[in-house]
Amino acid sequence: MIVFKTFWNVVKKYKGTVILYTVLLLVFGFLNMSTKDTQTDFVNSRPDIFIINKDKDGLLTKNLISYLGENSNRKEIKEEEDSINDALFYRDINFVIYIPEDYSKEVMEGSNPEIEIKSTGDYQASLASRMLERYLQIQTIYKKKETDEENLIEAINHNLKTSAKVEIASSLDTTKTTNSSRYFNFASYSIMAVVIFVVCLVMSSFKEKNTKKRIIISSMNYKEHNRKLLLASFVYSSIAWLLFILLGAILLKDILFTTRGLIYMLNAYLFTFCSLTIALLISTLITDKNAVSGIVNVIALGSSFLCGAFVPSEWLPKGVLQIAHALPAYWYINSNDLLKTIEVINRESLKPILINSLVLIIFSVLYIILNNIISKYKQKIG
Amino acid sequence: MKNIVEVKNVTKEYKELKAVDDLSFVVKEGEILGLLGPNGSGKTTTINCILSLLNINKGTIKIFGKIMKPDAYDIKKDIGVVFQEVAVFEELTVYDNLDYFCGLYIKNKKQRKEYIEEAIALVGLENYKKFYPKQLSGGLLRRLNIACGIAHKPKLIFLDEPTVAVDPQSRNNILEGIKTLRDRGATIIYTTHYMEEVELLCDRIIILDKGKVLAEGSADELKELANMDEKITVEVDHIKETVIEKIKYFKNVHEVSLERNTLIVTYKKGKNNLSELIDLLKENKVTYSKIFSERPTLNDVFLNLTGKELRD
Repeated sequence: MIVFKTFWNVVKKYKGTVILYTVLLLVFGFLNMSTKDTQTDFVNSRPDIFIINKDKDGLLTKNLISYLGENSNRKEIKEEEDSINDALFYRDINFVIYIPEDYSKEVMEGSNPEIEIKSTGDYQASLASRMLERYLQIQTIYKKKETDEENLIEAINHNLKTSAKVEIASSLDTTKTTNSSRYFNFASYSIMAVVIFVVCLVMSSFKEKNTKKRIIISSMNYKEHNRKLLLASFVYSSIAWLLFILLGAILLKDILFTTRGLIYMLNAYLFTFCSLTIALLISTLITDKNAVSGIVNVIALGSSFLCGAFVPSEWLPKGVLQIAHALPAYWYINSNDLLKTIEVINRESLKPILINSLVLIIFSVLYIILNNIISKYKQKIG
Repeated sequence: MKNIVEVKNVTKEYKELKAVDDLSFVVKEGEILGLLGPNGSGKTTTINCILSLLNINKGTIKIFGKIMKPDAYDIKKDIGVVFQEVAVFEELTVYDNLDYFCGLYIKNKKQRKEYIEEAIALVGLENYKKFYPKQLSGGLLRRLNIACGIAHKPKLIFLDEPTVAVDPQSRNNILEGIKTLRDRGATIIYTTHYMEEVELLCDRIIILDKGKVLAEGSADELKELANMDEKITVEVDHIKETVIEKIKYFKNVHEVSLERNTLIVTYKKGKNNLSELIDLLKENKVTYSKIFSERPTLNDVFLNLTGKELRD
């Protein structure tokens, strides 16, 4: 009991660190709630166009201009080539349409008058181009059937107004799942920092050369003493995990009380356990407290940056992601990102997440084995 | 008195170096044994071997009549160790440090509390219970270090240079504390290179050099080995060679040496030597600024045995 009690007394000295990273996560969580995922919202884009119309009285021309006006921003500039070129260069307009004289008349007579264009060649210009092409294609098709100009216009307009109504048959609230994934991804940094930093510092106090000697010569079995320390570290890590889950429950609300939420939590717990094994390995390798804080910062921050805890992993270069494969945080974050998009949770859809979890377990086992080997080697040379 | 510690033909080697070389000695119940020797003489290695912190290459070590091993917890429960380096938790208060180290031996909370209070009183840290080690001076920190080693009331205590770099007040406090522990019945093994402390505290002294026992006995017994009974030092302004020759013919004179202006005369026996020397200097009109007489120290013993100073 005294080992357990002392472990917590030492932890108390580092409560500032725990508070710091918890507050960081809380602040991130709040900021996260107030931003929307741009990937899920559709914004209709309207290019800026300029029309030079030489066919003032043509009904077909008027209809084309009306259609273009509804779907783009019509700009007014001087009808001089220099002004037009300047406007295109400075992106005041994206697209210029030249409608020739007697355009409507020539179309109705069966010829195919050419409409000239000028464009900036960018995305907006391409939108305007597609809009014009669509209109002209429909006009060409219906012209083959209709000989009357008014009937042709009616047919074109009817066709243009017909749009496919797309309904997404999904019950997935992507805003909520995206927020959850972002929260848990960022939590990887807080978990690593809080677990590795504190456990390493506490362990280095117990493993300080002279303190260790005192413990070894005491009447308490040293192995038993260390087992108690490990248990205390495990309990501490679990409490840290619980703290971040509670924080998540406050910020993310009901989503955590679903199957998806449970998987998020289990994934976080596996990652917490893996962080604990890293902490124990570091504390075996290094007992100097100053070195510990430096190394922990490098590991926690470096791992979070490389694996996509702060920025979405799809934004990271391929090379970085390849390196990230060697870090547990990558597999943890990958599971969170998968959970964001899984529509139906079943054995098949959970397969990649289970594989990621298995990788986390393998990492943990590997760290434990390494820790044992290094401990035994150190004992031997000590 | 029974033997508390028995060290028999113990050797500890580090590759080419023999840190402890066929060492044998016993420590009797209730005595304070001083292990004296210069830095690197093998004092700390000897203690580490006795405590099974180091594996020995040869020999046997018995404590309380039983073979000492790393897992001899029944022996360890009655041992207390105060290492040369301070070994406490920086994150814990004075009281919590004591609670932890005492708790490694004593499980009963009430008993532990009593023991801790006694240890705090023994080293005079009553006013610093809630202080963190960083808030303590070097001397107070040493006292805490001692309290952590003896709070569980061990029967055998190892004190490895506990007064190194300690202020006089704390040194006195520590030495008084050690006497109190002895009076309470503890057996103490005390290592130091401070001769005065050994003379003041120890019932028996072992002088170590290069991992071997050079001499063993009480302070008075060891001083016999110095081949002198008195040493007179005179800081002369000027002295002629003829006067030095006259001094050499005095009855008990063992050796006369002059180094710059310092004249040192050693005597085999110490009686009326000082007045005799003063008279001679007066007769020969030798002026001097300082003259004093000393009894031989353990340093003189060490010097006589090895040809080098204890603090070399």
